[in-house]
Amino acid sequence: MMDLDKIIASLREGKHIPEETVFRLCLNSQELLMNEGNVTQVDTPVTICGDIHGQLHDLLTLFEKSGGVEKTRYIFLGDFVDRGFYSLESFLLLLCYKLRYPDRITLIRGNHETRQITKVYGFYDEVVRKYGNSNVWRYCCEVFDYLSLGAIINNTIFCVHGGLSPDMTTVDEIRTIDRKQEVPHEGAMCDLLWSDPEDVDTWSLSPRGAGFLFGKREVDQFLEKNNVELIARAHQLVMEGYKEMFDGGLVTVWSAPNYCYRCGNVAAVLKIDDELNREYTIFEAVQAQNEVGNAIIPTKKSQMDYFL
Amino acid sequence: MSQKNTPPLRSPGINTVQINAAREMHAQTVRARRMPMPTSAITASSSPATSTMPPRHTCNNPNNPPCVHCGSVIIPSPRATLPLEDNPSISINDWTISSKKKPILNSQELDVWENEKLKGLTLPEMIFGNNYIRIENVKLDWSIEFNALDALKNVQLQDSGIRVAYSNDWINSKRRQNSTNGAQRFTNDVKDDSLNIIHKYDWTYTTRYKGTEKSPESRFLLDNDQTLPLDKLAVHDKILFYDDMILFEDELADNGISILNVKIRVMNERLLLLSRFFLRVDDVLVRVYDTRLYVEFDENRVVRESKEFEGKYHDVLAKHRLSQSHDPKAALRDSNWVAQNTPMIKRECEIIQF
Repeated sequence: MMDLDKIIASLREGKHIPEETVFRLCLNSQELLMNEGNVTQVDTPVTICGDIHGQLHDLLTLFEKSGGVEKTRYIFLGDFVDRGFYSLESFLLLLCYKLRYPDRITLIRGNHETRQITKVYGFYDEVVRKYGNSNVWRYCCEVFDYLSLGAIINNTIFCVHGGLSPDMTTVDEIRTIDRKQEVPHEGAMCDLLWSDPEDVDTWSLSPRGAGFLFGKREVDQFLEKNNVELIARAHQLVMEGYKEMFDGGLVTVWSAPNYCYRCGNVAAVLKIDDELNREYTIFEAVQAQNEVGNAIIPTKKSQMDYFL
Repeated sequence: MSQKNTPPLRSPGINTVQINAAREMHAQTVRARRMPMPTSAITASSSPATSTMPPRHTCNNPNNPPCVHCGSVIIPSPRATLPLEDNPSISINDWTISSKKKPILNSQELDVWENEKLKGLTLPEMIFGNNYIRIENVKLDWSIEFNALDALKNVQLQDSGIRVAYSNDWINSKRRQNSTNGAQRFTNDVKDDSLNIIHKYDWTYTTRYKGTEKSPESRFLLDNDQTLPLDKLAVHDKILFYDDMILFEDELADNGISILNVKIRVMNERLLLLSRFFLRVDDVLVRVYDTRLYVEFDENRVVRESKEFEGKYHDVLAKHRLSQSHDPKAALRDSNWVAQNTPMIKRECEIIQF
């Protein structure tokens, strides 16, 4: 048996985790996740968290401001990795918590939890930089394939990373997807992780030529058909940390403050209590420091140069 | 359903930890603009004549980096706000250069931009809408500013024709699905209509923005025979003022990047500004649209040169054969490398001689 508490302590300090340990963590996580459905049932009270994007220090703030995993149940809506400089530590910390407190942490897959995307947006590079090879990245990608696609709180709040899919309009249909694979470029699984709400009258194609936009009508139909009150999703940066749309039928939650270390936005988590009240907790980015008080978040501030 | 919003942290007073954070952030911002310690190489290249000349520029903001030319040490006095607001400025002769950096637009500002100022455009994910770099000469009654709003006004409100790499596959698979089991499954009336693009705008946010002149009509005269004085600009004269900022950025739903960046360096006799629009649609194309603005202070002469580079993604990637990197695509994230390795399709040069 692994000493999870010890690994958690190391992760919280941003210390190096041996490859062998990561391997075992990932294997154990897979076994645990394998038994979960595509849409996990979660009870209130619960705290819903949006994108993390490798901002480990802000993830620690998130736990601190929202009660901590010892006392609070959490749903993470995906996008644990990429962009930030501590994707690996952030993802492993969540896995450790999941293994340590299986009933308190639900992890949903985001569009960044794929081989293709992580190769371009930072996680792969980070692992190669930290380990000199990509093994650890491969172990993590195996775990990605087992993450759930959604969660449902007290049968009234549906949680998903991106949004809705025209192919599957009920939660029961979503339960039938064979999710244990790399996210395909099309189909319902792809839509759930990628689609965006917008001010459109009906399902419409994104001008990019792939991906759906959905509007108030689609949200209302989904809510009614599935007898739910709210769709909680992440996926899009919001300056204020959260944004309700369509008369409160949909909310975007964003949990990466000062995104990419330069946006200056605040972050939020959404707590749902037993009466299904919504309570947002806002938090700001922290200036992380090492044990002697030096700032350790690398700033993207450019050096002065004689550009031509 | 009741809703209880926790107010932002700062309402009753400012916590010590926040003040410290603000100070630290301020120090970092100022440090980033500070001149590097003179290395032997730079000292050698700057002539002794200029270093003994009295300074002729004025620092207009106490947050300007302490400058050896000014002779005075300025103690920064940070405003205890997070994030820090930064608004440095410098004057040389009658020329004043100023810049401002603030966080991305908030929801209220975004609403105004989306519904009024930029109606019809789905806004990029990150807009640094309160940022700007401004160059102005009050005596000559001329100024030019680089800001996000005007840059985005230049984005076309029509279909760009550009599609993400997997667009065909995606649309075809939806079509197939619709035709095979449409009747039973698509009770939610997903017709082929939903595969049309209803909202038409250039989702790549391509902009040919060259700055906003504050005069009824442009003072620039087209003269493509003009060039930038690279010999003068290559000299490592001391940089008195430097800034570098993003005006807007979009990750194209993880299909690449669209970013507009502006940077400026001001030396004793001249300045150079580079506004660069960089677009990469993965597996499809790359674009770099550069605008360089050069001012020679004593001559009151302004040169603006714009260049457009564009190439197919894989053609440009193929030029990176000799990559030592574990990730050959890294080069395609570097706009400098892309600009150097992509064919130029257009060049224009304009001047103002006051």
